[in-house]
Amino acid sequence: MTMGAPPLLEAHAVTVALGGAPVVQHANLALRAGELVALVGPNGAGKTTLMRALAGLLTATGDIDIGGRELSELTPRERARAIAYLPQGHVFHWPMEVAAVVALGRHPHADAFSGLSQVDREAVSRAMAATATEEFTGRRVTTLSGGERARVALARALATEARVLLADEPTASLDPRHQLVVMDLLRQAARKGGAVLAILHDLTLAARFADRVMVMDRGYIVADGPAGDALSPARIAQVFGVDAVSIDTGEGFVPIARHPL
Amino acid sequence: MEEAVNATGRKDIKLNMALAALVAALGVLSLTVGPAALSPRAVLAALIDGDGIPGIIVRDIRLPRTLLAGLIGATFGLAGAALQGLLRNPLAEPALFGAPQAAAAGAALVIAFGLAGATSFAVPLAGIAGTLLAIGSLLAIAGRRASLTVTMLAGLALASLAGAAIALILNLAPNPHVALEIAFWLLGSLQDRSYDHLVIAVPFLIASWVMLGMNAGAFRALTLGEDAAASLGVDIERTRRAVVVGVAFGVGAAVAVAGSIGFVGLVAPHLVRRMVGSDPARVMLPAALTGAALLMAADIGVRLVPGPVEIKLGVVTALVGVPFFLAMIFSERRMLEGNPAS
Repeated sequence: MTMGAPPLLEAHAVTVALGGAPVVQHANLALRAGELVALVGPNGAGKTTLMRALAGLLTATGDIDIGGRELSELTPRERARAIAYLPQGHVFHWPMEVAAVVALGRHPHADAFSGLSQVDREAVSRAMAATATEEFTGRRVTTLSGGERARVALARALATEARVLLADEPTASLDPRHQLVVMDLLRQAARKGGAVLAILHDLTLAARFADRVMVMDRGYIVADGPAGDALSPARIAQVFGVDAVSIDTGEGFVPIARHPL
Repeated sequence: MEEAVNATGRKDIKLNMALAALVAALGVLSLTVGPAALSPRAVLAALIDGDGIPGIIVRDIRLPRTLLAGLIGATFGLAGAALQGLLRNPLAEPALFGAPQAAAAGAALVIAFGLAGATSFAVPLAGIAGTLLAIGSLLAIAGRRASLTVTMLAGLALASLAGAAIALILNLAPNPHVALEIAFWLLGSLQDRSYDHLVIAVPFLIASWVMLGMNAGAFRALTLGEDAAASLGVDIERTRRAVVVGVAFGVGAAVAVAGSIGFVGLVAPHLVRRMVGSDPARVMLPAALTGAALLMAADIGVRLVPGPVEIKLGVVTALVGVPFFLAMIFSERRMLEGNPAS
C-alpha cells in the first residue's frame, strides 16, 4: 500500500438526505490504490446511500474528490471511466449473451456510433479471464446460476478498468465457495492498483479479506481501521447488538457472531 | 471473444439486408396491387415515366400509400423497441399506453371542429401533443421504479381516458358527416393518402427515428438496471425525455395521417429479438424494418380481400396483434407473476 500517494477517492463531510431525512451524516473517508476496504453496518445504516453518493448517483453535500477533481465537476462519462459501480442483486433484464453484457463495461469509453475498439476488446477479454467467465461467452446471461451471474456482473464492472470499484453486497446470496471466489477477485482488482470498496454483511469475510474495515451506524462512520480494531467484540456489540468473539485463525483475528444481545 | 464480436456484426448485417430486401419486395408488390390491373412491367414503366392513367395510379395513388405504410410501420417498430428498451420489458407497446388513442383524440379535435384541414400541419401537431400527454403522464404516474403492473394499469387508464375524449369529440362534433368521417378514420387506413400526407408526416417521423436511435446505447446499458446504467455514464432522465418526445413525434404524426394503428410496436421487435441476442440496441434497426414489412404486408392484405368496403388497416393490425399479445402474456406468465419490472 502506498500511503504517500494521494488517495484515488476522498470524501469530506459528505451528508446525504433522502426525502428530507439525513441518511448519511458527515462521512469522511479515503480510498487508496491497492486497498480493499469493507463497509459494514446494520440494515438501514446508510451504506448503500453512501456508496451511491460516492458513485455520483445521488446529490450529496460535502466534497468528494476523484483523482484530485471534484466529483460533481466531472461529466457523466468521465465519472463513469473513473468509478465502476456494481449494484446489489446482479440484475440482467434481457437474456443477452455474456460477452455483450461484459462489454457494457466499456460503455463509458465507446463513442455512440462505433462498435468496440481493439482496446475495448482487450479490456473485455482481461475482465473475462480474471473472472473465469470466458467459458460462458456465448451463453445467455439469464441461463447462468447465481454464482456465475455474480462473476459476470463483476466482469462487467472490471471491464471498465476504472481505478475505483464500488461493490454493493457483491457476495449476497452466493454459496460459501462463490463468496470466497468473489472476495478473492475483488482483492486481486485492488492489488492491480485499484481501490475497492465493498459493502459486506458477513463480518468474518470482511475481516479476512479487507485491508481496512469501515463501520457505519445510523448514518455515521463510527470506525475506520484494521479489522482487529474496527470489528472488536465491543464495537460489534454496540453497533450490531450481537455478542461476538474474536478468534485467531492463524492468519489474524476474525469475529464470530454468537447470539443477539 | 473478438471473433464472436465480428460474427455478431456480420450476422446483424445479413439479417438487416434480408429484411430490407423483404421490404423492397413488398414495396414492389404493393405498387402492383389495386383495383386497376397493371402488370409489374406496366407498373415499372408508369413509375419511371409517369405517363397517362397508369402513371397517375402508380405514382399518385399507390406510391404514397406504399411509402406511408413502410415509414409508419418502421416508426411503430422502432417506437416499440425503444419503449421496451427504456422499460426493460418486452410487453411495452405504444398502443397499450394509450399513445395512438391520445394522438387520435388530438387529431380528431382539430378535424371535428374545423380548426384546420386534414392535410395541415396542425393535425400531426395535435396528434403529437396528445401522445406527449399520454406517454408523459404514463411515465410520471408509473415513476422510476414502477412495476409492470403499475405501468400497465396506468396505460389502461390513459387509453380509456383517450377513448372517452374521442367519444366526447364525436358526441359534440358540429357536423354529423365529419363525425362519421372521423369514426372511419379512427379505424386506421392508408386508403387515398397523397403526397400531402407524406409531407406533413415525414419530418416528424424522421425526428422520431433520430431521437429514439440516439438512445440505443442507453437502452443496452439499462439491461443492468437504472443505477448501473447511470454509473456507466447514461443520463437516465435525458433518455426518458428523449423516448417520450420521440415516441410522441412518431406515433402522433403516424396516427395523424393513418388513423389509429396498434400492435406493430409489440410484434415487430418480438419477431427479431432472438436473432440479435436480445440486445435492446441491436434490435432497433431490424425491428424498424420488420415493422415496415408488417404494415406493408397488412396494407397489401386489406386490398386483396374482396368485398364492397376495404377492411381498415388498424382493424387488421389489432386482429393480428391482440392474439399475439395474449400469446406473449401466456408464454411470459412466470416472469410476469414473479418479477417486478423495476
